Amino acid sequence: MKLRNAVAFFALLVGAVLAGAAQASETIKIGLIEPMSGPIAAVGRDTLFAFEFWAGKVNERGGVLGGRQLEIVPLDNAMNAEKTTHQLKKAVDLGLRYVSQGVGSNHALNIIGFVNKHNKRNPDKSILYLNHAAVTTAFTNELCSFWHFRFDANVDMKVAALTTQMGLDPEVNKVYMLNQNYAYGRSFQAAARRLLQQRVPEAELVGDELIVPFGKVLDFTPFIAKIKASGADTVLTGNWGPDIHRFVKASMGSGLDVQFYTIYGGLTSSIAGYGGAAKSVNLKQVTEFHENDDVPSTKNLLPLMDEWQATYKQSGYSDRPRWLIEMLAAAMDKAGSDDPVAVGMAMEGLSFDGPLGQVVMRRDDHQMLMPLVVSSLTTQYERPVVYDGKDYGVAFSTDGHVSREDTSLPTTCQMKRPG
Amino acid sequence: MDVLVFSLFNGVLYGMLLFMLASGLTLIFSMMGVLNFAHASLFMLGAYFAYEVSRHVGFWPGLLIAPLAVGVIGAIIERYGLRPVHRLGHVAELLFTFGLAFVIEEVVQMIWGKVPVPYDIPDALKFTAFTWRGLDYSAYRLFMLCISVGIFVALYAFIARTRTGLVIRAALTHPHIVAALGHDVPKVFMWTFGFGCALAGLAGAISGNVLGTEPAMAIQLGPIVFVVIVIGGLGSLGGALIAALFIGVLDNLAISYDLSFYPVLEALGVARDAEGLLSDLVNLTTANIAPVLPYLLLVLILIFRPRGLLGTRDV
Repeated sequence: MKLRNAVAFFALLVGAVLAGAAQASETIKIGLIEPMSGPIAAVGRDTLFAFEFWAGKVNERGGVLGGRQLEIVPLDNAMNAEKTTHQLKKAVDLGLRYVSQGVGSNHALNIIGFVNKHNKRNPDKSILYLNHAAVTTAFTNELCSFWHFRFDANVDMKVAALTTQMGLDPEVNKVYMLNQNYAYGRSFQAAARRLLQQRVPEAELVGDELIVPFGKVLDFTPFIAKIKASGADTVLTGNWGPDIHRFVKASMGSGLDVQFYTIYGGLTSSIAGYGGAAKSVNLKQVTEFHENDDVPSTKNLLPLMDEWQATYKQSGYSDRPRWLIEMLAAAMDKAGSDDPVAVGMAMEGLSFDGPLGQVVMRRDDHQMLMPLVVSSLTTQYERPVVYDGKDYGVAFSTDGHVSREDTSLPTTCQMKRPG
Repeated sequence: MDVLVFSLFNGVLYGMLLFMLASGLTLIFSMMGVLNFAHASLFMLGAYFAYEVSRHVGFWPGLLIAPLAVGVIGAIIERYGLRPVHRLGHVAELLFTFGLAFVIEEVVQMIWGKVPVPYDIPDALKFTAFTWRGLDYSAYRLFMLCISVGIFVALYAFIARTRTGLVIRAALTHPHIVAALGHDVPKVFMWTFGFGCALAGLAGAISGNVLGTEPAMAIQLGPIVFVVIVIGGLGSLGGALIAALFIGVLDNLAISYDLSFYPVLEALGVARDAEGLLSDLVNLTTANIAPVLPYLLLVLILIFRPRGLLGTRDV
């Protein structure tokens, strides 16, 4: 053939080979839709740190599927519903097949609806949604979807853990419930009413309040007066943010002698929000781990926590990002593919070594099952709560562990699987 | 009866806190007519400044420095921001202060971070002043009450009884005549605005440790302050006081008496085990919606008595 044709042919051949090579070492992108701006930006930022840290660990070991690296793509929704939809569309445009989110169940619901519709219409461009913190129980019950995997215990499971521990606590005799009047708070209230009867039968429910949420209640004194009048020794609440900061501060200021059983009362931003009251309040939380837990599987994590703290100047609070990234990598390697359907199938039933024992992704509803620990705020600790380089002078001490059997609850999910 | 007395007492405490938050705005919105959306942001700045000073010097110097600093910032905002924008009308003013509120919020986050700061009550006032019905009332809450009352008395005396107050009142309603009489009207506005901002800063310094000092506090506290002013009526300091006290007592009564709406619904034939929206209404009590009642009142006032309780001007 002519020289010109030969050169063109070889150029094309080389180009094809290079393109093929680029394809093989292409990164696997995981979109993270969280608030990176606005008042809740700290939570989104910390989640991004965690994802990047643990993806980095996987990449250090050689990545997945024979050398492909994981890449986290931050997508800011500024806690705005329209922005969440916008970022989902952007994810589609960018060709992302995996998205994660957790801050705000309303956004989670938005994402579940979006991927259900999108995957039905575009089966060759399906997207898997990995939920790391949106705890509305319905997402793994009535609203369950093959495309949704939840890595956090849902509200009912967390309340099950709290009530199990309350059943073992001799100080719990009269319980007062106070919750935020919106989907999450009502879900907590409903679960608590049911589970208190089952797991804390000797205790009396002496109060059950709902308040306007999100910092609207400035003065908690009248509520505290009612709690005092009821003779309650325990307050059970799902409150978070200013709705718990002001509650705790007002309680301590009024000399109310109760113990608080909470889900989110131990969030680092809340410890900051309590101010001096953090050192004297009798507050309990339920989490998947805490750094001062004297359990071998937690102690094994501490060197990684040291590295985390050295990098990001904060102590460890949530282990779920690690589970999410590691299990995604394991599922991809098990499936031998990055296709969401194959990875989803491989993820079902997958187990992982968590800080309190094995955690398992239940096949029926894509709900992670896990042991949980109920712990109290304390000024006696080895490893303090640190955030932004600041030592808060408090940490947690274990009250009790709740086994996976005791935190797992039946599901109503009737999952339809693809193919 | 006991509950009623408690509700009235705590209602007054809470109402005076609301008045303290709104006091600066009575000067700025109520009298000058400037719709300052950044008022709560300046309140937030006062809290943060007081926190910063309390960390390095002490709580009490903070009470002096924070309002001064915020007042100066307010005067600068008026002189270089509002004055040029004022010509362009009320909407432009509103948008300017609206944008300013966002800017202040971001600046606060950049300097102090996005997590609440541990601004605390000073040790000197941490003791229990008295105990009533099993609840402790800390000396600090009484201190807050005294400051609120003091602010009201001082503002009233200043506006109604001093020469400067006279000039301010005259300048707000008859600026040209006052200028013709030789007073520097723009300067009067600047100092009035600055003074209003200083009051916001003082309120922030005093209540930031009780309400929580974090970047979102301005958005949370902003609306209720406007409600107090509008219900009280524009142009009236006494109206703002009465409105604040009324809201405080109403909030407490709603929570303490916790009345259910069911009797009303029962009369309309709704069953107790109704589903869906009706089940929400059946279970609704006044305690659930207590913080929303002031806004309901605002709507009613604007419909039936737009001038507010003691207002001298329309909104």
